[in-house]
Amino acid sequence: MLGDYFKTGLRILIRQKGYTILNIAGLVLGISVFTFIFLYIQSEIRYDKQWTDYNNIYRVTSEYSVDSKVEKIALTPFRIAEDFRNMFPEVVSTTNMFFTDPSDINDVSSVTYNGKVYEIPDITLSGQNFFNIFDYIFTEKSSDSVLSEPNTMVISSEIAKKIFGNESAIGKKLSTVVREYTVVGVFKKKCHPTHHNFDAIVSVSSLEKKGLARLKKDWYWLTCYTYIKINDSVNPDNLASKFNSYADLRRSKLSGEEQLDFDGYFINKLEPVHKVHFNTKLQYDSPSNIDISYLYIFGIIAAFILLTASINYINLATARSLKRAREIGIRKVIGANKKQLITQYISESVILTSVSFVLALSLVELMMPQFNQLVGKDLTLVGSIFSGEGIVFGIILLIMILTLAIIGGSFPALVLVSFKPSTVLKGNYSIMHKFGNFQFSAGLLRRFLVTVQYIVSIGLIIATFIIYAQMDFLKSHDLGFDEENIVVINTPDDTTFHNRFPEFFDALADNNTIANVSSAMNVPGYTESKMLFYVGDTLEQNIQTLNFYNISYNYFKLLNATIIDGEHFKPDSYLNNENYFMINEAAADFLDLDTAVGTVLNMPYKQSFKSGKILGVVKNFHFSSLHRDVEPLVFLLNPNDIRYVLVKFNKGQDEEAIHHIRNVWDEYNKGSFLHYTLLETKLESLYKGDNNMLSLFFYFAIFVIFISSLGLYGLTSFLIQQRTREIGIRRVLGGSEIQIISMLAFVYLRVVFIAGLISSVIVYILMQNWLNTFAFHISINGWYFVFGITITLVIAFATVTIRSFKVVKEKPSVSINYSG
Amino acid sequence: MIETFELTKKFVTEDIETIALRNVSMNVEKGDFIAVMGPSGCGKTTLLNILGTIDDSSSGSYKFFGNDVNDLSERQKTDLRKKNIGFVFQNFNLIEELSVYENIELPLQYLGWKRKDRKKRVDEVIGQLNISHRKNLFPVQLSGGQQQRVAIARAIIANPALLLADEPTGNLDSAQGEEVMSLLNELNKAGTTIIMVTHSQRDASYSRRIIHLFDGQIINENLNKMI
Repeated sequence: MLGDYFKTGLRILIRQKGYTILNIAGLVLGISVFTFIFLYIQSEIRYDKQWTDYNNIYRVTSEYSVDSKVEKIALTPFRIAEDFRNMFPEVVSTTNMFFTDPSDINDVSSVTYNGKVYEIPDITLSGQNFFNIFDYIFTEKSSDSVLSEPNTMVISSEIAKKIFGNESAIGKKLSTVVREYTVVGVFKKKCHPTHHNFDAIVSVSSLEKKGLARLKKDWYWLTCYTYIKINDSVNPDNLASKFNSYADLRRSKLSGEEQLDFDGYFINKLEPVHKVHFNTKLQYDSPSNIDISYLYIFGIIAAFILLTASINYINLATARSLKRAREIGIRKVIGANKKQLITQYISESVILTSVSFVLALSLVELMMPQFNQLVGKDLTLVGSIFSGEGIVFGIILLIMILTLAIIGGSFPALVLVSFKPSTVLKGNYSIMHKFGNFQFSAGLLRRFLVTVQYIVSIGLIIATFIIYAQMDFLKSHDLGFDEENIVVINTPDDTTFHNRFPEFFDALADNNTIANVSSAMNVPGYTESKMLFYVGDTLEQNIQTLNFYNISYNYFKLLNATIIDGEHFKPDSYLNNENYFMINEAAADFLDLDTAVGTVLNMPYKQSFKSGKILGVVKNFHFSSLHRDVEPLVFLLNPNDIRYVLVKFNKGQDEEAIHHIRNVWDEYNKGSFLHYTLLETKLESLYKGDNNMLSLFFYFAIFVIFISSLGLYGLTSFLIQQRTREIGIRRVLGGSEIQIISMLAFVYLRVVFIAGLISSVIVYILMQNWLNTFAFHISINGWYFVFGITITLVIAFATVTIRSFKVVKEKPSVSINYSG
Repeated sequence: MIETFELTKKFVTEDIETIALRNVSMNVEKGDFIAVMGPSGCGKTTLLNILGTIDDSSSGSYKFFGNDVNDLSERQKTDLRKKNIGFVFQNFNLIEELSVYENIELPLQYLGWKRKDRKKRVDEVIGQLNISHRKNLFPVQLSGGQQQRVAIARAIIANPALLLADEPTGNLDSAQGEEVMSLLNELNKAGTTIIMVTHSQRDASYSRRIIHLFDGQIINENLNKMI
């Protein structure tokens, strides 16, 4: 019997091609987008959950306040890993990993093997405990305790493949400009999703002894990420407070230059490692971290998209069922009972949803490369579904589809089978009357469902407008300096090269495409440093923590930043062994100085103090993303500490300029690659997350409006089916085509309009919240709402018109005799 | 076999009450062939629907083989219908998505027959009605007369005690009509009880008894002179 149901069901679906395609298309799109969003969310929440005992692994973070200004930082002093391990028995193991600037994608290290230079994007330092806590999968290793020996290194399998091909990497020697390392292990970088982002780790014991000794002593120098693994029963908050008491005591016993006497506190906190990925509040943290509220938003959108598709499905199934009243009547007369009829309807529904399900998953598989590109991930459908919670998702999705099939099948069936066959068989006009009560309540339900669909559609359209406008605003916002036509070059940590800097700069400048050359440790858009400053002549009072830039001559000139008080660093400022500072307006305001110029600043710097006068005040410019306000910033003239070379070229001569830079680079840096970024590109990358959100919203908006339009198309079919005779009569009585189309359109356009109003209020509140995450943002304009609602109304009107056109064009003599 | 006593059917809309049947009392014996005649709207089809259990009366009693149909639940009525009653309609009411064979087979499916038994029975009936060569066609591929043959085959497939025919020749030309009527006649001779609604004097002439309805009432009942 069941086989017969399927056979009949299939035939009916093939016969009613239009309906079937419409219904399958909506479902396929809905399920696909839902699956994509699920895969994305799943890949995000998996971060750092694959490590053995991940629940017992914590990252130690730092928080300090100076003069009531609180700073939260992902880094800690190096020593505390050892303190935790030695002083607290509840701690099983600890490790730390050095900070490498993750915001600088050009911060690449070069290694030499067999006389050939290779690049490793991110090398950090750590110890043997690291892999005890984080059980990375090793493809090969020399022993179980890699990184225990000095001058050893582990590398990712990608790097190993690049350098050694298919040969074993173990025991091979890689040299940097500093020393030679032996490869002791090869790990799989992508074995688990994690906030770590290194391609190689060098053993921390490789550091020169003096430097290491200093790291082991310092209580304030925030240099590395620290991770601890604790026993099951330990309460992390208690452990943190015990540790803080211990550390406070130790710090209070420090003396001399080690002692920092400031008005505030310094504490460490423990954060579960699997929550690191969702922490965006800390400075110097992994750039892959995201705000978890995005996931909630995506989850809600995914649910709405699936809901929209399901609503369509049920609406279309109900609409179609009227056409089949007669068939059901015949079956009842012949002797079919309710159960048999409902089973038949559900069978058809199951076929339809199963086909959609299979097609949707095929579509997901097909579109996976594009999706991966869009979200910057490396997901696979099989990998996601057939693992861990993926199976649960697969089962949940399957249950949802079956539920939908059953609701979509039984809803119309229950209505139809309750009719008397004698009524159904008599003719269709009377069915419509019999439908009366059902239609009234179902009609209300349908309108409610359509309203929900359009609230989501319009909301996404308006939100996309607002995000776009904000992104456009960011692009055109005056940063307070000229970011155009500037190349930022990364320099290797090579003393020989550093000694030749003056010549190198002269050679760079010696070209008519180059306007200016400068150098610095810090550049706008890149990570800034934080330093403690003693303001005034004594070291006793007024200690402040401020953003800090190490820069060289020409810096402000090159950036075209305005000096509003005092003067530029002079070319000889540095030579007479004196230190000179400049500050920005925000720092002058923050420090509340009557006369900034001439004020003395002191700062601890590399085991000593640098003391000097403020030479001038720079007009505020945006040195970080516009999410942040311009913060106080201190510049130190320090041409010796250089990480970046900045080259400003003449407008329109970028190709020639880069050609020239490359030539000069090759001359001074044989065997080392040139890594550079356009400053503009770097600044744009600060909004990568926001831009991703823009494109995701854009696509979501298109999907939702498309699915909603499919639904509206189906509902219009329903409406027309019910009112064909009425349309005929109206035409006979002289109603014009446009009058009749408008009449049909008005039924749902009214709903769309109301949805638009509701949506506007919700979107206004949500988007205002989002805009508030920027220190600089647009104000929400009424036109965004007008455009959003108008566009949706136009699409809805077009949908209704397309569907009604045929019936309205029909000769009234045909439609007036229409019988369903 | 069938006994009705003062069957009445009222249709009530918001402000009008229409009486379709008024105190109809009749008896049908096994093997009868009754023609129900009367002008349009006199209640013929309503009577047939009530007798076929696809509609309910407003009052009065209806006994089928001694059981009061009004006492039956919807499920029991369905059961009674599929085991005992076959229907033939003016507009054939075949299911367009099903082939000739599948349309005829359908009542047996609902009766829960096994596939093998169904095949045997369907083959027997389509042989009897001479439509074996068309069993794989779909209704739209058949002429009206052929469709009605299929409908009759479907109506008698489960050997019903009662066959209800609502203007079975109404949509057919006279030759096809003749053919259908002789088929019904043969079935009646073989023992099937038939109640047929018709406008046609000629069709009525095949019956043993003619009941005349007017405004929902039986105004005349006479044995057919032909017999």
